[in-house]
Amino acid sequence: MFFQQRAGDKVRNPVLQQALQKARPLFVGKRAKGVAALAEDGLDGERLRDACAEIRNRALADLDVWLSLFEERALASGAEVLWARDGEEAAALVVALARQHGVRKVVKSKSMLSEEMHLNAALAAAGIQPVETDLGEYIVQLAGETPSHIIAPAVHKTLGEVEALFAENHGRPQKTRNSADIPEMTREARGVLREHFLSAEMGVSGANFLIAESGTAALVTNEGNGRMVTTLPPLHVVVTGIEKVIPTLEDFATLMRMLPRSATGQSISNYVSLLTGTRRSGEHDGPQKTVFILVDNGRADLLGSDYQDMLRCIRCGACMNHCPVYFSLGGHAYGWVYPGPMGSVLTPLYTGIENAVDLPQATTGCNQCGSVCPVRIPLPKLMHRLRETQVERGLRPLGERLTFKAWGWLARQPRLYRLFSRIAARYLGWLADPAPDGSRGGRRIRIFGLAPGWTVGRDLPVPPGPTFHERYAARKRV
Amino acid sequence: MTCLVDLMRPEVGFAALQLLERVGCTVVVPDGQTCCGQPAASAGQRAIAVALAKKAVAELEGYERVVVPSGSCAEHICNGYPQLLADEPAWAMRAQAVAGATRELSQFLAEHAPDFSPAGDFSGSVTYHDSCKGLRGLGIKQQPRELLARLPGLKLEEMPECEECCGFGGAFSVKYGEVSTRIVDRKCESIASVGADVVAGGDLGCLLNIEGRLRRRGDETTRVLHFAEILAGEVAK
Ligand code: SF4
Repeated sequence: MFFQQRAGDKVRNPVLQQALQKARPLFVGKRAKGVAALAEDGLDGERLRDACAEIRNRALADLDVWLSLFEERALASGAEVLWARDGEEAAALVVALARQHGVRKVVKSKSMLSEEMHLNAALAAAGIQPVETDLGEYIVQLAGETPSHIIAPAVHKTLGEVEALFAENHGRPQKTRNSADIPEMTREARGVLREHFLSAEMGVSGANFLIAESGTAALVTNEGNGRMVTTLPPLHVVVTGIEKVIPTLEDFATLMRMLPRSATGQSISNYVSLLTGTRRSGEHDGPQKTVFILVDNGRADLLGSDYQDMLRCIRCGACMNHCPVYFSLGGHAYGWVYPGPMGSVLTPLYTGIENAVDLPQATTGCNQCGSVCPVRIPLPKLMHRLRETQVERGLRPLGERLTFKAWGWLARQPRLYRLFSRIAARYLGWLADPAPDGSRGGRRIRIFGLAPGWTVGRDLPVPPGPTFHERYAARKRV
Repeated sequence: MTCLVDLMRPEVGFAALQLLERVGCTVVVPDGQTCCGQPAASAGQRAIAVALAKKAVAELEGYERVVVPSGSCAEHICNGYPQLLADEPAWAMRAQAVAGATRELSQFLAEHAPDFSPAGDFSGSVTYHDSCKGLRGLGIKQQPRELLARLPGLKLEEMPECEECCGFGGAFSVKYGEVSTRIVDRKCESIASVGADVVAGGDLGCLLNIEGRLRRRGDETTRVLHFAEILAGEVAK
């Protein structure tokens, strides 16, 4: 993971910047409106956030209990439940199921966990064709990329790029399409996808929540594809993380007040499906077989740790939508499945702190993320705790460690500290660019070797000379 | 007094002193004062941050009130110290006492001198940048605006996204210079869109960051000031 290098490339990519620049105000504005509209329903947004956090905490406090209740109720409704320790095991289970049932094609509804599992690669390696059916995810798959946002996977693409992809992959001459006509392009994709829905033998979806009391998977989407994936093919496989379980349907109703508003600003999303069991006799649709694969992949280790709060996450994307760093780079800069502030916490935790050293540093600490998170995850605090762990494990570069050591020592020697700041003020003054008339004593530094990052895009103002403490001491003497 | 004010803009310190004296306070800047430890804390250097927190608590606890002309340093004293020292009961209590006595300058003025009328004779338009730590950590929002609005001739112009981060983030702006520049560019565009004479704020870090970018972009006229400088009337236009 080389976030730092990637970040530079992303900032300098004008096409990406254009796509991001367009998307951000939409996300932020819609959420603000959606949350403000809660008041019209007589709801207090802040209390609702408390309630949502509490539901998630309650589920996590007795995760084993709720999971076994879920298993019991799911089995009773005719579904199967399998458990996987990690992504590899989970992918192997899906492949085995596909083989067992002679599956040649799998239609998928967006699931971040299946990205963790590298499911598409595992299926393809077994000679089974995976087809993403969420429009954004479909675009990303055509481009041979990974999602760059958890709810808007293709947010990094411009309309022109999508058009070119469609022209290349749909085998229709570009002329027949009215360029930049989004409904027309959507219709075109829908036509292609429809054939896949009808010919696939297996559907794979995630679930936004698992509802323990009824053994139900809840699926929240804005496109009808989720319904097709979960009902058309004879075999439906749900892959979710074990932390997704919540106790009751009522809990689900409460969380649904926050989830779509946080994500897209909608009071409710277009499709909310509650999937319980399989097709019953006399019913005309629904899968003949439903299998839940409940995946740990690092989650259980967070229980009871300093990072347990992170397991509350309901994957709404609000934190990344409000993050100035995310929207300067897009999600690919973060180098793994989850981007933005939540990714900066999850990636080091799931892939190893030493494998994502840059991510917890990639934040200004502005806490715009924490202040919008619907389940009150203290994201900056968790990133900060990761920084502390990096320091404890000696993962910070030597230069940084020495600088802080020296600074920490100096700051405890007030006399020396004063001397140092006096010298620093003079030194910076000496570095100043010449004033416009060519004389010494300009007001800014254009290239500052000690902290080159700063003067990459900014002038460093020059201190006026005597420090505050010097002047203050002089004032006292008068 | 904060490190940045000490080194980069002593005028802000004197403006703060003047304002406090004008509302009848006796102000002391402790001799041994250095860095509050926020940069170390934020970098995860807990041991150093704890040592500096103890040093500062010992220095500040003798005073009735602690007033800081910086949202982020005040936030660190108020929220950071009690957390850093939570594991040592004796220190935890002392840290909490200091935290309870600490206010950011505009907070203090609003609380202590609700009728305060600034002496400045500033005329022109000012747009206010809300710094993250002060805003989201201490709830500073109206206080500086109300104080500024009391200056006759001063017109407040809200810029779009005034609560948006400027991209400074301490070491972030050095480590991720390009990303930070991208973020502060948006801030500069917001500022330009209201065409104010002055950008004001309560945190020198953000102000230096914004000023540095404005100048590099070629804007030589928009002034970037700490609100204390404006209120103290030392920057008459
Ligand atoms: S961390 Fe919070 S804001 Fe971010 S995706 Fe998860 S629930 Fe949403």
